[in-house]
Amino acid sequence: MSNSSKRWVHRFIWVTAVVFVLAAPWPGGRLLAHAWDTEDCQGCHADLSILEDGGGYLYVDSARYERTAHAEVGCPSCHESVNEDHPDDGVRPSRAKCGECHDEVEAEYTESIHADNATCTDCHNPHEVKPVGQVSGAQMNRPCMECHEEDDVVASHEAWLSQTTRHIRALPCITCHTGSKVYVVTFYVGTFEERAGRSPRVALATHEELMAKAERSEGVTSVIDRDADGRVSVEELRLFYREGRAEGLQLWGMMTPEVATHNYATMDNRWDCSFCHASGPGVVQKSFVALPGPTGDYTRIPVEPGAVLDALYGTPDFYMIGATRSKTMSLIGLLIVAAGLMVPLVHGTLRLLTIRKRREH
Amino acid sequence: MNEKIYLTPTPVRIWHWLNAFGIITLVLTGAEIRFPEYAQVLGNYKAAVRLHDTAGIVVTLSFGLWFIYYAFVARNLLRLYIPSREDIQRGMIRQAVFYGYQYFRGGPNPHHQTPENKFNALQKTAYAAIMFVCIPLVIVTGVLMMNVSSLREMVMAVGGLRLLIGAHWLVACVFCAFLFTHIYLATLGHTPFAHFKPMWTGWEEAEDPSDRNT
Repeated sequence: MSNSSKRWVHRFIWVTAVVFVLAAPWPGGRLLAHAWDTEDCQGCHADLSILEDGGGYLYVDSARYERTAHAEVGCPSCHESVNEDHPDDGVRPSRAKCGECHDEVEAEYTESIHADNATCTDCHNPHEVKPVGQVSGAQMNRPCMECHEEDDVVASHEAWLSQTTRHIRALPCITCHTGSKVYVVTFYVGTFEERAGRSPRVALATHEELMAKAERSEGVTSVIDRDADGRVSVEELRLFYREGRAEGLQLWGMMTPEVATHNYATMDNRWDCSFCHASGPGVVQKSFVALPGPTGDYTRIPVEPGAVLDALYGTPDFYMIGATRSKTMSLIGLLIVAAGLMVPLVHGTLRLLTIRKRREH
Repeated sequence: MNEKIYLTPTPVRIWHWLNAFGIITLVLTGAEIRFPEYAQVLGNYKAAVRLHDTAGIVVTLSFGLWFIYYAFVARNLLRLYIPSREDIQRGMIRQAVFYGYQYFRGGPNPHHQTPENKFNALQKTAYAAIMFVCIPLVIVTGVLMMNVSSLREMVMAVGGLRLLIGAHWLVACVFCAFLFTHIYLATLGHTPFAHFKPMWTGWEEAEDPSDRNT
């Protein structure tokens, strides 16, 4: 065999060995197999026809998925066992465990009272999951309400919480049952419908409802951020209150945590009502208006700093005792009290000064 | 020996002291509820709210006792509490002149107490405003605020939660102002405690007409 022929035989053996190694079914192998990417997956799984074929559990709303942090790592990161024969091979794709990335959350959750009753995916859909700032209070409560019915929640809080039903309906559960140290007030836009002799029907406004009232070219934020400067001033809030009522819109204020921890412990200060029911330099000094996007997630616009209490007091039918009092009413009331105090002070002083004269009579 | 008059029957005394302690409790706890960062009477907001609610119920019940006694037992509610034409035309000015001028000169009190005419014209006016306007208003607003969820229709019908709270707060301030004046005027007897004692025993010592100025 010539040297040239020997070199070709050696090359053939090396190439065959490398191909064999790369295609082998061990971690790191299959590099030459068909590589699926997110776009491939969505070709089938984001197609609505999958629903018609009874595959609802396989459907992924691509618009919502693209808004999640999981979209950045893509489908194959969690479903890595999918091969070129999928789905004809009949093999159910592997699913990564949440703890592989979220190990700290998993460790915290494992210690919590919920760990024996619900897995991560019982509460979170990994294809739609969003940060706490992008969901409404009602959306925050949805997973809780899967297990905890409102009547039971009210009954278990009644022993210590005044105005129980009102509190339960006005707050996300995680306002108290989470370890977040930072809280903000978030306003959501609601629609209301007047009903003769009954209280108005109120619901969170959808993106479509707000777009119908917005400057379409400027998007949904223009319903409240009139000057499009990316923040809501007190004047813009007042304008919204004045004009919004006529258009069937109003704001709902909720105290919401900035992060959601997974121990679900009730921190000691949550038992103290003045954690929320206090004005001045407290926790409710920062606020946002949250507006729904086309996929149902919310975008927050900051409200002018320091205007939270004014904003809350301006919200129709909203009053948080201890926190949203009117300064004008407080002043008038204190003047009445001062006037009452003046009677003993002035009369008493004159009484002392005239004591001798009165004794003479 | 000084003449003694039985001016304050037992049901009225029970009402008065229930009302007095109830309203003082309401004022203190109410201050903490409205100004939690400044007024920390109990130092526990939840306890303040609960005590405020309880005191509110006590004052409501004592108001019922007062009304039933005077309207249906003694049957002199209107005669005692509603100023007559004479009271309005002359009595109020006469009494105001006494408190503001004659008293300091040692002049006599123009009003003479009897069980059927216990209050002078100014007292009648003040008590009528308190008992027929302020107390019912503070009770109604308080009951609505204690049951905001279940009585939501009524809350909205009377103008909404903030209007209720504003009215409740202003009436509470009137009570507070009245309390200062009321307690002070009660010291204008022949001794500083001369008018406190009968409100406990029921018997008023009528030593001098100028004693009776509460």
